[in-house]
Amino acid sequence: MKQFTSMEDKLGLNKFTAFEKTHLSIKPGSDPMVVEHKLFICPAKVYELSDKGVPIVSFENCLECGTCRVAAPDEVEWAYPQGGYGVTFKFG
Amino acid sequence: MADEKFDAIVVGGGPAGLTAAYVMAKAGMQVIVVERGEYCGAKNVFGGVFFTNVLREIMPDFLKDAPIERNITKRRFSLMTPDGEIGGDFKFDRFNKDFSNNSFTVLRSKFDKWLSDKCEAAGAMIITGAVVDDFLMKDKKIAGVKARMEDGDLYGDVIVLADGVNSLLAKKLNFHKELDPKSTIIGVKEVIGLSEERIRDRFALNGNEGAAYEYFGYSAKGAIGSGFIYTNKDTISVGVGATIASMLEHKLNPNDVLEAFKNHPTVAPLVRDGEQKEYSAHLIPDGGYKKLSKLSGDNVMVVGDAAGFVNATLFHEGTNLAMETGKLAGETAIEAFKKKDYSAVSLSQYDTKVKNSFPMKDLKQFKNTGETLEHNPKMFDKYPTLFGDLVAELFTVDGEPKWNKEKRLMMKLLTSENPFALLKTMIDMRKVII
Repeated sequence: MKQFTSMEDKLGLNKFTAFEKTHLSIKPGSDPMVVEHKLFICPAKVYELSDKGVPIVSFENCLECGTCRVAAPDEVEWAYPQGGYGVTFKFG
Repeated sequence: MADEKFDAIVVGGGPAGLTAAYVMAKAGMQVIVVERGEYCGAKNVFGGVFFTNVLREIMPDFLKDAPIERNITKRRFSLMTPDGEIGGDFKFDRFNKDFSNNSFTVLRSKFDKWLSDKCEAAGAMIITGAVVDDFLMKDKKIAGVKARMEDGDLYGDVIVLADGVNSLLAKKLNFHKELDPKSTIIGVKEVIGLSEERIRDRFALNGNEGAAYEYFGYSAKGAIGSGFIYTNKDTISVGVGATIASMLEHKLNPNDVLEAFKNHPTVAPLVRDGEQKEYSAHLIPDGGYKKLSKLSGDNVMVVGDAAGFVNATLFHEGTNLAMETGKLAGETAIEAFKKKDYSAVSLSQYDTKVKNSFPMKDLKQFKNTGETLEHNPKMFDKYPTLFGDLVAELFTVDGEPKWNKEKRLMMKLLTSENPFALLKTMIDMRKVII
């Protein structure tokens, strides 16, 4: 049985219905390095830095746990996604 | 539904909210549950063992149709070391006779949905796909909630906040502060498919029996955390959790910790050749007694994870604490409904009931657990390694006379660590365990 270890493959197991607008963002004026210093903790690796050092937020992969807002409350703007959207756990 | 007014609005369709709704609807109150997922359970994740003591109380015949995966008759606890484990387990057939241990594995997407169907049958209304962001106020008092949708204003006499661990709504009311990274656990898990026969053989189970394996010590790459494997019918739930502060300190990503756990030499043969089905993540409020939210105010009560009711000790209970607090809030609301008094004074009955309940008594007993573990980080790294080495050496058959070996290992134990610090940690551990 093939085992998935990469984040992309693992997230591919889940059912996601992305809403048109993000429910997550880095607050304006925040140090982008928060991505490397703290947001590496995101279980879905939603936060990355672009080559130019700009944060990329792949909100469509969010597992909606809330870890990022607890780890970096001053930098992360967090809301629940629109009702009925986001991840739908088939097992849970 | 703009002009409709409910007796009670429950925000969140998990075990706490649905229990409150069930109890209130049974008593004839007009109840609406507002759930943000596609269905109740769609957003809900836990380790895997549902403790049904409260469910049995409110629904004595639940075993007739509840979507139970397996009946837990076997529990195993082990101290993980970097390359092995020191473990012990118990298994009793009596748990198969009357299911008196009230411990069943369930999958939340099925189980919470089933519970919401029971609520509907009892007369509660359930709306799904609706996320509540704010309250509706009238004369400086809470008069309802605002769901992020067209015609999303809902009015009600009492609001039960069952919006889970993040509970942005209770935070909005200043009932609790932001979650503390030191006392909030991030848990990740995979559901892995295995045939029923394989599960029975691997975990030494009969029929519909289930097993709960808990891993302490070096189970989260040195972070303050633990791991688990729970058997479902034809899947297993495999996961790890650790405090956010500890993950940050060790620069760990939860998925990397889970991968390490799955590949640990003692875990790998249990998950081998399984088919990965789902990867999930969820927070666990681990602050216990000291970090509980304010529980009630004018027209509002907070239940379950939203208030912090999780017993994250050796016992790993949560869903039953959720259901008990949901039940007590429901009962309080019924009394308020009869008196037509939803003031803070009237609803403070909920606080009184909770104070005398098993969730509060248990959390009080273990109120220092989180801090004790935080002050003993060696229990997650150095000590399990040391104990593992001692046991491995003691049972290494190499011709060294036993008396010599025992004396030598005792010296090794006393010289490799500060014996007083070690003794203190052992005493601390005993207190947090039982």
